[in-house]
Amino acid sequence: MNLKLDHVEKYYDDVKILDKLDLSMKNIKVLALIGPSGSGKSTLLRLIAGLESFEGGNIVLNNQSIDKVDLAEYRKRIGFVFQDHNLFNHLSVINNICMIMEKVHHRKHTEARTEVEGLLKKFGLIDHKDKQPHQISGGQAQRVSIVRALAIQPEVILLDEPTSSLDPVLTFEVLKSIETLVQDNKDVILVTHEIGFARELADYIIYMEEGKIIEHGATNILEEPQTEKLKIFLDKVLSFH
Amino acid sequence: MNKINKTINFIIALSLYVGLFYFVTTRAIGVKLDFTPYVEYRKVIFNGWIKTIEVSVLGVLLSLIVGLVLYFMSQSGVLAIKYVAGIHKTIIFGTPLLVIAIVSYYYIGNAFSVDSKLLVGVVTLGLYIGAYISDIYKGAIESIHINQWQTAKMFGLTRAQTYRYVIFPQVLKSILPPLAGQFALTIKGSALLSYMALNEFFNEINVVQSSTFRFAEGFVVVSIGYWIITVPLIIFVRKLEERLHVRIIK
Repeated sequence: MNLKLDHVEKYYDDVKILDKLDLSMKNIKVLALIGPSGSGKSTLLRLIAGLESFEGGNIVLNNQSIDKVDLAEYRKRIGFVFQDHNLFNHLSVINNICMIMEKVHHRKHTEARTEVEGLLKKFGLIDHKDKQPHQISGGQAQRVSIVRALAIQPEVILLDEPTSSLDPVLTFEVLKSIETLVQDNKDVILVTHEIGFARELADYIIYMEEGKIIEHGATNILEEPQTEKLKIFLDKVLSFH
Repeated sequence: MNKINKTINFIIALSLYVGLFYFVTTRAIGVKLDFTPYVEYRKVIFNGWIKTIEVSVLGVLLSLIVGLVLYFMSQSGVLAIKYVAGIHKTIIFGTPLLVIAIVSYYYIGNAFSVDSKLLVGVVTLGLYIGAYISDIYKGAIESIHINQWQTAKMFGLTRAQTYRYVIFPQVLKSILPPLAGQFALTIKGSALLSYMALNEFFNEINVVQSSTFRFAEGFVVVSIGYWIITVPLIIFVRKLEERLHVRIIK
C-alpha cells in the first residue's frame, strides 16, 4: 500500500480539524493511526476512504488521486469497518453482507451466499448467520462488519477504532479477527487506542494531535519516540499496562 | 386465565358504550328505533357502501404515492420543486377537507372539464391525505440513524438503492401505526365527498333519512357501515405490525 498526503486540510464549519497534513509512505501493509481523542485520526481515515470531502490538498492511495477519481467507484474498492459496526438493522448477518455483494458488486445470489458462508465460518460466525444484529454481541457484530469489509475483496481495509465500544473480552475477539486479515496479506489502515496491538501488527505508525501529524515512522517509534508529545502520550497510555 | 380476564374487561368496556347509546337513544329520541325503511332501501345503501370502499381504496393508494412524491419533492435540490411541495402542504393543513372537496368538484374540476365525481373524489382524497402521509414518511425516514446512510454510501449503494434496500424496509414498521390512522381518516373523510353529490354511503343514507325521517336509525346504520370498513383495517395493520416486530425479534 502506498499513501501520500499532500497538504491535506479539513474544516467542520470554521473549525480546522486537519491542519495541512503531509506524508508519503510506500509498500506498507499495516498502517496504524494513534493519538488522543479529537486528534483527527478518524477524520483522516474517512477522507482516505472517500467518505468525506476535504477543503485543501490531496490524498493519493495506491496511485489513485482522490481529487480525480470517481469517488463512488473508488469507495467500492475500499472496505470500511465503522466504530459501531453499522450493520443494517433489518437484515440478518448473512444478508448484511450478501446484499452488498449482489446489488453493488453484481455477484450471483448463490455464489455470494456460498462465499459469505465460507468467510463467516472462518471468523467463527457461521452459527449466527441468520440472526439480526441486535441478537448478537457487540464483538460479534464488529466481526461481521470485518467480514463485510473483507467480502467485497477490497484493495485496502480501513478500520475506525473497531474496539472502542467493546469490553476486554470482545476486544480480544475483534483484534484476533483483524490479525487474521493481516495474516491473509490484506492492506490495512487502522485507527486504534490499542497501542500494544499496533506495536504487534503495524509496520508504520502515524501519531496525531490536534489535527497535526506529530510523528510518523516504522513501529520502533513506539519504543523510541522522537518527539516529546508522543513520549508523553505513550507514558499515559501504557502506564496501567 | 389472561384471555378470560381480557374478554371480561372488554365486555365491561363495551357495555359502557352500549349503555350510553341506549341512554342517548331513549332520552334524546324518545321513540323506539325502526330500521324497516332502511331494510327497504338496502340495495341503494349497499351500493353506496361499495362506492365508499371504492373511493377509499383508490384514495388511500393514491395518497401513498402522493405522500412519497411530496416527500421527495421536499428533499429536492431544485428550490421551486421544494416550494411547490411546501405550498401544497400549507394549503392542505390549513383547509378543511369539506372546503377542498367542494372547491375541487365545483371549481377545479369544472375548470378542467372533469365531470366524473369518482375521479375528482379520489384525486381530492389522494392529494389531501397524501400531504399528511408525506410528513409520516419524513418522520420515519429521518428517524433512521445517519450511520445507516453512511454505511450504504461507503459500500457503494446508490441513493435509490439505499432507499430501496436500507431505508424503506426499516421505516415500514414504524410508519404502519400512523398510516393505519390516516387510512381510517381517508375512509371517514370520503363522507365529505357527499357534498359533491357523489353517491357514496353517507350520501345515500342522507337520502333515505330525508325520505323516511328516520334520522337516528340512519346515523346508527352509517356508523356501523364505517366501522365494518375501518375496524378490520386497523386490526389488519396492527397484526401486520406485530408480525414485522416478531420477525425482527426472532
